[in-house]
Amino acid sequence: MKRYKLILSMLGLGIALTSCEDKLDLEPTQSISTEAALSTGDNIENLLIGAYAEAGQAASYGGRLQMMADLYGATDQVSWNGTFQQPRQVYVKNVLVDNSYVSGFWLNAYDVINQTNIVIDNLAIVDEDNQANIEGQARFLRGLTYFDLTRMFGQQYMPGQANDQLGVPLSLDGIVDYSGNLEIARATVGENYAQVIEDLETAYDLLPEGNSEYAGKYAAQALLARVYLQQGDYAAALAAANDVIENGGFSLTGDFADAFNNDTDGPETIFAFQVTTQDGSNTLITHYADQSNGGRGNDISINDEYVAMFDSEDDVRGEFFYESAQSGDRLTSKYTNQFGNVTVLRLAEMYLIRAEANLELNSSTGSSPLEDVNTVRLRSGADALSSVSLEDVWMERQLELAFEGFFIHDLKRTMQDVGDISYDDNSLVFPIPQREMDVNSLLSQNPGYGS
Amino acid sequence: MKKNLQVVLMFFFALATQFAFAQDRTINGTIVDDQGMPLPGVNVIVQNTNRGVQTDFDGNFSIQASNGEVLEFSYVGFTSQTITVSADTQDLSITLGEDAAQLDEVVVVGYGTQSKRQLTDNVAKLTSEDIVEVPTPSLQNSLSGKAAGVQVKQANGKVEGGINIRIRGVASIGAGSEPLYVLDGVPLINNNESNNGAPTNPLLTLSSNEIESIDILKDASAAAVYGSRGANGVVIITTKKGGNNKGSFAVNYSYGISETANRRDWLNSDQYIELFTEAAINSYGEVDGLAEAESTFDYLAQGTDWRNREVDTDWQDEAFQTGYTQNADFSASGGDERTSYFFSGAYNDTEGIIRGNNLDRITARANISHQFSDKFNAGMNISFSRTNIDRIANDNAFVNPVQAVAQSPLSPAYLENGDPNPNTLYANFLLQDKHAFYNTVIRRVTGRAFAEYKFLPSLKFNTDFGYDLFYQNEDSYTGSLAPFQSTNGEAYASSVGTESYVSSNYFTFSKIFGEIHDVEVVAGMEYNNTYRRFQSVTGIQFPTDDFQTINSAAEISAGNGITNGNRFLSYFARGTYALDGKYLFKASVRRDGSSRFGADEQFGTFSAISGGWILSEENFLSDADWLSFLKLRASWGQTGNAQIGDFAALGLYSGTSYNQRPGIYPAQPANPLLSWESVDQTDIGLEYGFLNNRISGEIDYYSKVSDGLLFSVPLPGTSGFSTIQRNIGEMENSGVEFVLNTKIIQKEDFTWSTSFNIAKNKNEVKTLPNEGADIISGQNILREGEALQSFYLVEYAGVDPDNGDALYYTNGEGSETTTNFNEANRVIAGTPYAEWIGGLSSNLYFKGIDFSFTFQGEWGASLYNGGGIYQSANGDYFDNQTADQMNRWQQPGDITNVPQARLYAGNGVANSTRYLQDADFIRLRNLTLGYTFPESISEKLAMTNLRVYFSGLNLLTITDYDGYDPESTSDAGQGAGTTFYSAPAARTFSLGVNLKF
Repeated sequence: MKRYKLILSMLGLGIALTSCEDKLDLEPTQSISTEAALSTGDNIENLLIGAYAEAGQAASYGGRLQMMADLYGATDQVSWNGTFQQPRQVYVKNVLVDNSYVSGFWLNAYDVINQTNIVIDNLAIVDEDNQANIEGQARFLRGLTYFDLTRMFGQQYMPGQANDQLGVPLSLDGIVDYSGNLEIARATVGENYAQVIEDLETAYDLLPEGNSEYAGKYAAQALLARVYLQQGDYAAALAAANDVIENGGFSLTGDFADAFNNDTDGPETIFAFQVTTQDGSNTLITHYADQSNGGRGNDISINDEYVAMFDSEDDVRGEFFYESAQSGDRLTSKYTNQFGNVTVLRLAEMYLIRAEANLELNSSTGSSPLEDVNTVRLRSGADALSSVSLEDVWMERQLELAFEGFFIHDLKRTMQDVGDISYDDNSLVFPIPQREMDVNSLLSQNPGYGS
Repeated sequence: MKKNLQVVLMFFFALATQFAFAQDRTINGTIVDDQGMPLPGVNVIVQNTNRGVQTDFDGNFSIQASNGEVLEFSYVGFTSQTITVSADTQDLSITLGEDAAQLDEVVVVGYGTQSKRQLTDNVAKLTSEDIVEVPTPSLQNSLSGKAAGVQVKQANGKVEGGINIRIRGVASIGAGSEPLYVLDGVPLINNNESNNGAPTNPLLTLSSNEIESIDILKDASAAAVYGSRGANGVVIITTKKGGNNKGSFAVNYSYGISETANRRDWLNSDQYIELFTEAAINSYGEVDGLAEAESTFDYLAQGTDWRNREVDTDWQDEAFQTGYTQNADFSASGGDERTSYFFSGAYNDTEGIIRGNNLDRITARANISHQFSDKFNAGMNISFSRTNIDRIANDNAFVNPVQAVAQSPLSPAYLENGDPNPNTLYANFLLQDKHAFYNTVIRRVTGRAFAEYKFLPSLKFNTDFGYDLFYQNEDSYTGSLAPFQSTNGEAYASSVGTESYVSSNYFTFSKIFGEIHDVEVVAGMEYNNTYRRFQSVTGIQFPTDDFQTINSAAEISAGNGITNGNRFLSYFARGTYALDGKYLFKASVRRDGSSRFGADEQFGTFSAISGGWILSEENFLSDADWLSFLKLRASWGQTGNAQIGDFAALGLYSGTSYNQRPGIYPAQPANPLLSWESVDQTDIGLEYGFLNNRISGEIDYYSKVSDGLLFSVPLPGTSGFSTIQRNIGEMENSGVEFVLNTKIIQKEDFTWSTSFNIAKNKNEVKTLPNEGADIISGQNILREGEALQSFYLVEYAGVDPDNGDALYYTNGEGSETTTNFNEANRVIAGTPYAEWIGGLSSNLYFKGIDFSFTFQGEWGASLYNGGGIYQSANGDYFDNQTADQMNRWQQPGDITNVPQARLYAGNGVANSTRYLQDADFIRLRNLTLGYTFPESISEKLAMTNLRVYFSGLNLLTITDYDGYDPESTSDAGQGAGTTFYSAPAARTFSLGVNLKF
């Protein structure tokens, strides 16, 4: 029986030897540690790419943000037919504090902000040649995000006033240590806008003119034009829009249809979130498109009231629709490519901003308001106008930019009511998400949403 | 050659002598107990043969035996005896001494066994008879109602559905709450690997026919030897072995049909048109409203004449079907003094009650051991299985068949040409059923090689090497005609292999000193290494739907490759000491290290002590004839819960891509302080037996305090993360368990026993971080002083009788009411976990007929119907409504709970207690009626046993709950106690036959 003993003791010994305690140090293979991630310039650049990916998610610039802005401002232009409660609440202007699209946008926006903050905090280790470009892009994304957060969660900016109504918390330092107190109070709308403008002006200074599909100098400028317009700062809006039109090198597409559903940015695109079959998200498709285009059928249908706004028979924009195979409803043709980029800024808007600002200022910087409006109209085959008023420009914005996320913001800045709801009604400002109120005692809720 | 011949001749001679010797003769005898009373029904068998009889009513028997054979007399509750037949064996008079009856069962406690009599732990033991004939493919389901304080929950009626077993309540919040499963010493891989959003049961691969016993270690004293993995209890599964007897075969077959245990009433076409016409008119006035309703009806009816109710589709009938379940297994077992073997194979084929859901499984096992010498024995257990599942979507998907109940009854299910109707209110799941599939195949190999060496009679060494491989493939194809399909087909293929190997080595010293000091010490170490590798690929753009594998995809749209793993290194020891068979002591300790925790927190030590006192052995109780057994025991111990992600402590950045350019993003916030949860458990128990142990049972009180709970704590979203894993707070489960077993009748041909258990568990969240701030996720809240995951909802206040407006209480029941949901504050409205659970089993045997059943009940839990806002929304949207919505408010003065029907108006359609309901129930979980043919018949058929039986599952449910099933919850992770288009359980009627020969 000796040999059994021998075998057993060898076995036992072998096992005891192989199971050393250093076997317990196991490293993950799919991820890297925070320290490793923030130790090389390459990774900081990679993190910026990650911030684009984050911002392009469905919850925000992948489409829900634009859709909610339109549904919030829509009266009879469109109908929400879908089953999802969250957009329906926005459409009926009765948003509940637990609306997950609202909290989803909030969380996504601050993910983007923190990532851009970390990029900005760690610029020193980025390759010197790239530092300006990286910082510029990070500031562009941060400015864009804060601008939309402020517009959605705060009351409209009023020119010439204090603007001390509550906006959103301003977090400007990247957070990598989660052990401390992370609560932060809301800043005012005025402070939010100041930060947005500082970021975008810095971005404009830092960024190169062309920057392939990433944000370049004129993306920052075009966004500034939009920000100033929203603020009612027409002189600044005019200067910015004019700069983009004159110097940006963009041009309107020959056909209106070519401005949409692009796999790669076209001549009119100033900035778009990129979508491919592998990555990115186009949620506008989900809610605006038919099932055969990857959508849900007829969540958002276009009503006769909207079509009736077109005054020219030959206006291709008035026929830029198709019929849902599921329901027979009218759907917009702006979103038919499931993997098409989601455009955030395009040149037509700049013409309309310049026209509106020139009208407000009674000037003709760059071009006359009439010419600018007609430039946009003639591209689509609409009859040229012979004169143009502010109302005409506002109407033109509806015809040209509908379903691209402008409805509620245009109504608020022009102080027009949404149906019978006053433009500054509490119900037209998103509630601070309940989940956020639950974890951050420094936040105060917007009026009309309990406490 | 010559020698060989000699040997052969000798052999034949020996055989011939045997035959000459083996002349049977009849041996008669009487068997009495130690008081001289005859014992009926005593088993008398001739060892190593098939011969056996039972004593008659007067304790008499007669049996054929020959000299040299060994007679064995055995009777439950008495010590067995053997007698070797010799020439002068005749007219035996046997006295069987009373044993401590069933209390002398042997329980498996991890790295050894212990007598239940001397146990100071709380361990519930189930044997193969308790589980084998329940017609369900999931082994765990058959445990339901059978052990006190053990709650078994299958998510819902899908055949592969994930199962939770909660032993003495939920001991964890954010980490896993599943017990550790150990099969013949091998910790089983129990990771859900499903990728369609609904979990599967990883232990679906086990077949009940090969299982000998299941021991559930409930208290810390029992589980502490499993250290950081014992906090949720341990389920030890032991498979069958051969014995020292001639080979015997068993064949079992059963076939059953299944249907839904419950259906709900939905609106028919008449009611649908009435309700929605009214709803539209209430919202838009007589003219516009009617136009809105009728245009929708026109669309839904798709050209059929809805005005004359041409179509009245019951979508439930499309979603549910009559399923079947078929089970066939065989086993062979036997052995001799040195070698024992057990082989088995089983086949299960189950067609689910939901269209498109089915499963088939083959399993096989071989358990062999050999005694090489007096000192050394070794062997191997090995099993493999293949489980093939056709799956359907998770509950929260439009193509979940059960979501078809949302479709309008006006919509035809099929077009005239027989194809599914593509123009329904929601995507028609029948298109998915026809044009898509999701198939999962799980292969599992679990085995153990073991050796035992006895250095001395009192000292042995065991070494085990266990291996478990869980290998799963998923293949799915969604054809171009399936709903939401826009890429000319999409195929998904994944494969994941997880393998775990474990090496356990331990010494056992066991000796009785001076006749009264019974000592056993176990000490050893264990190393467990688990490695997982996952890959998946998604392809789109297929030439036609005839091409369904990735190879034909024109574009590969996604891919994943992941490896991860974890390791445990452990040292453990356990000592038990019994003094004079009355005073019992036990202590155990385990030191565990794991790769899952940060370097500073890598090791933890877990220990337990316990003691017991068998009072019935004391002189002062020895005169009490009515009292056969009484034991007091108490234990305290600490166990850990390491069921968190493999790298949960680290701050991590992961890869992503934007426009097909690589990037990184912060994926997990760091928490270097992360360590295990620990559970301190105290248990005080009393075991009793009266009247010769005809009445016996246990009463236990326990308190289980979970500390350092791992939890995804919500963070302010402004920080860039919405949650972080932290060891927060403290929670207590405390309760009592009561077990009462009776043997009401014990006669030769007539026995009747019952087993009743009931347990109360009270859960209380004790402390939370951030000064005890509430943690709210969806409808559930964690709040100090309240039960875990309590429902936190606005209280629905019913309907204003004057105008039909839905009302909410501003601050819970009794406070002011409001119509504005945003002005109403949420309150604690119930708990998703049962407070009381119980079971009652009865086993009756009468002259060949056996009849048994198990009732199971649960009280105190509520269910939230997450689909309520669509299903019971008084015509808010065109979803078909539950029939009770016809009780809507219609005119001033109407008293009802259903608000006025208003299309698109959200009248009462917010998440509130309107959709929360008590889910108490009593369920006839299973029932079996069998008949064993008399030996005279089975012998003619060359069998030793022939039995036929009927078995039923979920035959009866008594409940006030209105939804599909008081036990069905969403499998799509929608919050504790939330149901969402979740299918009811299956009710199965099954017929079977058992053959032994």
